[in-house]
Amino acid sequence: MEGPYEITLRIERYDPTTRSRWVQDYRMEAGGMLRFTDLFRKINNEQDPTLAWSSSCEHAQCGSCAVKVNGRPVLACELLVANAVERFGTRRFLVEPITVGPVVRDLVVDLEPAYARVEKVKPYLIRRKDNPYGRGEYRIPPRALEVYVEATRCIHCFCCATACMSGPPNFMGPNAVMASVVRVMDPREEALEERFRVLHGPQGVRHCHTSRACSHVCPKEIDVAHFVAIAKRGKVPGQ
Amino acid sequence: MRWRLSRTVPCDLLILGAGGAGLRCAAEVLERRPGTRVIAVTKVAHPQKSHTSTAQGGLAAVSPDDPIDRPIYHMFDTWKGSDCMADQDVVRRIVEAGWEEIVWLENRGMHFSRDLDGRLAKRTFGGHTVHFGEASAYRAVYEADRTGKGIMDTLWGEVLRGGISFLHQSMATELLFSEGRCAGAVIFRQKTGEFLAIQAKATVLAMGGCGQVFRVTTNCRQNTGDHLALAVQAGLPVMDPEAVQFHPTGIVGPGILASETLRSVGGILRNKDLEPFMEHYAPKMRELAPRDLVARAIETEIREGRGVLNPDHGIEHVWIDLRHLPEHVHRTQIPEVAGFFRKFANVDSRHELCPIRPSNHYHMGGIPTTSEGEVLRDAQRVVPGLFAVGECACASFHGFNRLGTNSLLELITMGRFAGRRLLGYLEEGIPVIPPDTAQATFQKFSGYMGTRGRAKIGEIRGKLRGLMTEKVGVFRVEKGLQEAISALMGLKAEADETAIRNRDLVMNQELVERWELENLLVSAMLIAQAALHRRESRGGHFREDHPGRNADFHYHSMVYMGPFGEVRMDRKPVDMSLHREGGTHAEMFGMIERRY
Repeated sequence: MEGPYEITLRIERYDPTTRSRWVQDYRMEAGGMLRFTDLFRKINNEQDPTLAWSSSCEHAQCGSCAVKVNGRPVLACELLVANAVERFGTRRFLVEPITVGPVVRDLVVDLEPAYARVEKVKPYLIRRKDNPYGRGEYRIPPRALEVYVEATRCIHCFCCATACMSGPPNFMGPNAVMASVVRVMDPREEALEERFRVLHGPQGVRHCHTSRACSHVCPKEIDVAHFVAIAKRGKVPGQ
Repeated sequence: MRWRLSRTVPCDLLILGAGGAGLRCAAEVLERRPGTRVIAVTKVAHPQKSHTSTAQGGLAAVSPDDPIDRPIYHMFDTWKGSDCMADQDVVRRIVEAGWEEIVWLENRGMHFSRDLDGRLAKRTFGGHTVHFGEASAYRAVYEADRTGKGIMDTLWGEVLRGGISFLHQSMATELLFSEGRCAGAVIFRQKTGEFLAIQAKATVLAMGGCGQVFRVTTNCRQNTGDHLALAVQAGLPVMDPEAVQFHPTGIVGPGILASETLRSVGGILRNKDLEPFMEHYAPKMRELAPRDLVARAIETEIREGRGVLNPDHGIEHVWIDLRHLPEHVHRTQIPEVAGFFRKFANVDSRHELCPIRPSNHYHMGGIPTTSEGEVLRDAQRVVPGLFAVGECACASFHGFNRLGTNSLLELITMGRFAGRRLLGYLEEGIPVIPPDTAQATFQKFSGYMGTRGRAKIGEIRGKLRGLMTEKVGVFRVEKGLQEAISALMGLKAEADETAIRNRDLVMNQELVERWELENLLVSAMLIAQAALHRRESRGGHFREDHPGRNADFHYHSMVYMGPFGEVRMDRKPVDMSLHREGGTHAEMFGMIERRY
C-alpha cells in the first residue's frame, strides 16, 4: 500500500462551556494502513490533547466510533487512510459528529436519546411461546434462522439512522425497526401484534421513504431496508 | 473549581461495569427479586459497547444429553489448561452450572447457531477434549463468531425488562466502606462532569480487564485496569496479577483478535517457509493446543528467524492459512473475522495467507473472590457487601492459562452465583456512608487539574505499553523484569508532571486519560512485581531463566501495594478438592503433566 499521505482532517469542534462550535484543521502525515481512530489518537498525542472522540473496541464490533466523514456516516475504526483517499477522491476530510443525539463535546454524542428509541421497541422476547420441547432449548432449524440472522448482527452504531432521510426524532430509525423485526421473525416470540402496533405507530415505519440509505451505509453490510420492508408489509414472509 | 459531590443516590445494588458478568448478575437479581433498585455504571456509551461484545468463538458447556462428553472431562481440561493453578471447587461449580446457563440465554432469545435438527450447534476449541485428552470435544456452543455480542444483546434486553438504571460514560473512582462493609462508590459522570456518591446495600465489581497495559492487545480502549487500582486504593489484594494471557492470533497491526475458531475450523499456522510448524510443538493437538503454548510457538518461530516482516507496520509475524477451507465456512462460520482481515489487513482469507502475531488478550489474575464471587481481603476473610465477577475477578477458574470459550462461561455463571449470594444483603438496611466521602477522589482529581508540568499523557502511556510488551510479555526474565519495575517508577514520576489543557470537567478526555494512566501504572507494577517474584514458568507466565514448573510456587500470589511500587506478597493455597476427595478420577486432578 502506498503512503505516507499528507492529509488534513477538518474536525467539527464543540465546547459545552462556551457553547461554541467551529471547524478546526489538523494537518498530518499518515500511513495508509492507519485508521481514523488512530488519527484522532495521533492528534491527541502530537497536536491537541483536548480533542474528544468516542471509541471502544476499535474493530467494528461495538459501534461507538461512528462519525460523518465528508458527509457519510462511517465507523472511524475501520476507515483506513488509503481507502478514504480512494473512496472520497481527496486528502481533505470533514469529520462531524453523527446526528442522532446532542453533541456533548467535539465528536462525542450523547447516545441516550438514540438508544431510548431502540429501547421503546423492547429489544427482547416480549412474550415467549411455550417451548414444545419442554425445559431445554427451542428448536430453530438453520433455514428458519437464516432468514433473519443478518439482522441480529446490528451493533447500533446509528450510521443508518444518521443517513436516513426521515431521521430522528420523528422516526424511530432503521436500526430500531430492525431490532423489533428480529423478534417478529424469531419463532420464539409470541407478541407479534404488540410489535406491529409499535412498528406502525406514530414513530414507526410510515416515516420511511425507502431511500435505502440505511442499507447503503451500514458498516456491517446488512440489508437494513429489506428488514424495514418486512415491517412495512406487516406480516412475516411465508406466514 | 469547587470539588464537591453533586448528589448522594441510594440504591439496593450497585454494579460497577455493565458487561456480561455485571449484567448477568443484575438479571439474576431482577428475576429473583423484582423491583430491586439496581444501578449499573459503565465507562462506555452504552452497555452494548462493552468488551464482552467483542468475544467471538463460543461458550463451553457440556449438555446433559451429550452421548460422549462429560462435565468431568471439562473440569479436567480446565485444570490441565490452568497449569494446575485453577481452584477445583470453583472449576466444579462453574462446569456443573454451565448448561443451565446456556438454556437460560437461549430461552431469553439469544441467537445461537443451530445444527440441522435445530438444536444448538457445537464446535471444538483449543484444549477441550473428551476422555481426558484423547480427542477434541465438541463442547462450544456459539453464535457464529460473535458469541459475546449475542450474550450482551440478550442480557441488555433482560435487565431493561427488569427496570435497571444505567449511568453511562461514568467511572468509579473510590469504593466506600462503613465499619468494614462496602457501602457503595464514588462515581464520576463524564457527560455532566459531576461526582456522585452511590450508597448501596451490595456492590459488585464487574469492570473487565487491563489489556491496555500492553502495546499490542485485543482489549478495548477502556480496559485500563481501573479495578486493580480501585482494589489497591482500598487496601485489598490482587491475586495472580502475573497470570496474563497472550492470544496466539492477533491481526498484525491493530492487534485485533482473530478468533481461535480459525484454528478450530481447520486453519493452519505456517512460518515464512510455509512450513506447518505446530507439529514440532504439540504433536497431537497441533493448532488446537492451548493458547500459551501456541503463542510461545509463534514467538519462537519469529525469534529463530522464521517470521515474515510486514513492511507497513514494521512487525514480524507468521501466517494463518485458511485458503483450503470451503467457501461456506468463510461465509457462515467466520464471517466477522474474515471481514477483519479484509478491512484491517487488506487480505482476502479465501485466497491469501493472513498475517498474525500474539496479542495480549486476557487477565487470569484479578480481585480474589470465593466461589460465589465474594471479595476476599486475605486468604480467608471476605469483605461484607462487596463482590467481584468476570475478568476483573479471580476465583480462580482459569489458573495461569485460560481455555478459549471458558471466559464467557465464567462471566455468566459467576454473575449468577454472585447475584444469588448477594440477595441476603438486600434485605438488610442501607449502610451509612462516611461524612468525608470522596475526599480521596477530590484530592486526586484536583491534583491532576492543578499540575503545570510538561510531560505528556500519551507519551508516557506509549512508553509504558511498549515496556510491558517488551519486558513483561510472552517471555520474561529476571533482569528484564527488574528493568521494567525501575522504568515504571520513572514513568510514575513523569506522570506526576503532566498538565491538563482542558480546564472543564465535562467530557474531559484528557482528565479521564490522566486517571487511566494512574491505573495503568498500578496494574503494570502489580504484574511486573508478581512476575519477578514467581521464579518458575506456569501457563501464560513464562520465565526464560526458570523454564519449568516449580512445586515451591504452587500457590496463588496475593499482592498488596501501599505506596507505588512497594508491594507485599502473600499466598493463598490452590484448592485441590477434586483430587483430595478421591474417587475414580482423582489422579487426573493431581499435579499432572501438561503435554498436548
